[in-house]
Amino acid sequence: MIFDRPTSTELVEVVSEFLEIEIKNQLPNHLAFKTQIAINVLNIVKRELTNEEVLTKESKTILLNLFKDSEEASIEKLAIQIQEGKFKLDSAELKEALIEITKKKISVDNPGYSTYKKLIK
Amino acid sequence: MSKELQINIEGFLLKNGKKGKVSNLIPLTGGASAETWKFNFSNKENSEDLILRKGSGKKSPLAVLKTEEAEIQKKVKSFGAPVPEIVAISYDEKDLGDAYLMNLIPGESIARKILRDDKFSSAREKLAFQCGEALAKIHSVDLKDFTKVPKKPIEEEIDRLYLTYKSFKQPLPVFEYAFVWLNQQDFTTRDDALVHGDFRLGNLMVDESGLAAVIDWEMVSIGNPMLDIGWMCINSWRFGQSEKVVGGFGDLDEFLQGYRSISKEQIDKDEVRVWQILGTLRWGVICLIQVYAHLNGDLNSLEKAAIGRRVSETEIDLMDLLFLGGK
Repeated sequence: MIFDRPTSTELVEVVSEFLEIEIKNQLPNHLAFKTQIAINVLNIVKRELTNEEVLTKESKTILLNLFKDSEEASIEKLAIQIQEGKFKLDSAELKEALIEITKKKISVDNPGYSTYKKLIK
Repeated sequence: MSKELQINIEGFLLKNGKKGKVSNLIPLTGGASAETWKFNFSNKENSEDLILRKGSGKKSPLAVLKTEEAEIQKKVKSFGAPVPEIVAISYDEKDLGDAYLMNLIPGESIARKILRDDKFSSAREKLAFQCGEALAKIHSVDLKDFTKVPKKPIEEEIDRLYLTYKSFKQPLPVFEYAFVWLNQQDFTTRDDALVHGDFRLGNLMVDESGLAAVIDWEMVSIGNPMLDIGWMCINSWRFGQSEKVVGGFGDLDEFLQGYRSISKEQIDKDEVRVWQILGTLRWGVICLIQVYAHLNGDLNSLEKAAIGRRVSETEIDLMDLLFLGGK
């Protein structure tokens, strides 16, 4: 890493806070609404930067368990093999893998989402 | 632009036997396939608020023409469903192009206000039953009056959704799973009906006593009526109020009771679940359509970009519905 602080996460964080605290309330409704979307997007980026490495590694482990072959273990291959019927739809391993990978994605995209909160209880 | 439009509307209404002045012409939305304007029309005898819906002139694969939308609303209204009254239909470029004028129904269409504002609290209690009733009326219209409405058998719709998803080359194992699962279901148990296609908060005008009108008929088709029922019950249209299955405001039992008060069709909750799965997947593919409109440069927009990261919401809802029964 050749870059100095602030880190990319810290930079994204400060812009998000600036929009939230200093800008959003100064704007007419429709622009305040759009600014909230911009803040949400920056928060996705922040969570992704913070957790990307761990989540990718954990997902890889899940895929390796499912495929037993490191060459095959990818999201693309999983999609293709489901479509081709190589997995039984009632396979507990498959279901578990799909749920766990989806949980990791949404923990970055929208950790406040109702179904996610329900499933991690 | 709006001065010219004002004169055109006045001329068009005059041709339809209504002489008067157009004022307060305000654009409401600027969708990709249609524009909507609100205005006041007045003469010596009276003053009324009207809506203009005008097509872009381009035929969209998803939407029917505005003239067709107007004709359908007129007929549906004659069957007693709550829809705005059509004032005049324009077929000609020399008039308003592909467009129509309708009565403005007073009320609210913004979901978050309907779900949270105190003034809608008694409306919310009745709304699920009323939505069931309205849908049953729409679904029981006589199809021989609707020969121009596009037929969309659900099996073909699922194929179309799959091809659309595939065209973006973004592999989503959960979507693949849901498509394989849906292709194993039996959809043949229902007769064809008139299907609204986008029946949910946002397209319903609600006033303090409940459902005032069903609007935005551009996704209308002849097909399986369960599509409307499942669509109304997906988590994506509960706007954060996920414990209320129907639109974020009501229970499935009340909704189905309303439906049965008009229709003889028996609907059970397991069947609704199948259509919630289909509806969730349909919304997921529509999210992809929107985000790729941004990514391909057709429609550069922050909202469209952000919606790409809402696809995972539909994935987790699909997992919940498929593996855990959605409970």
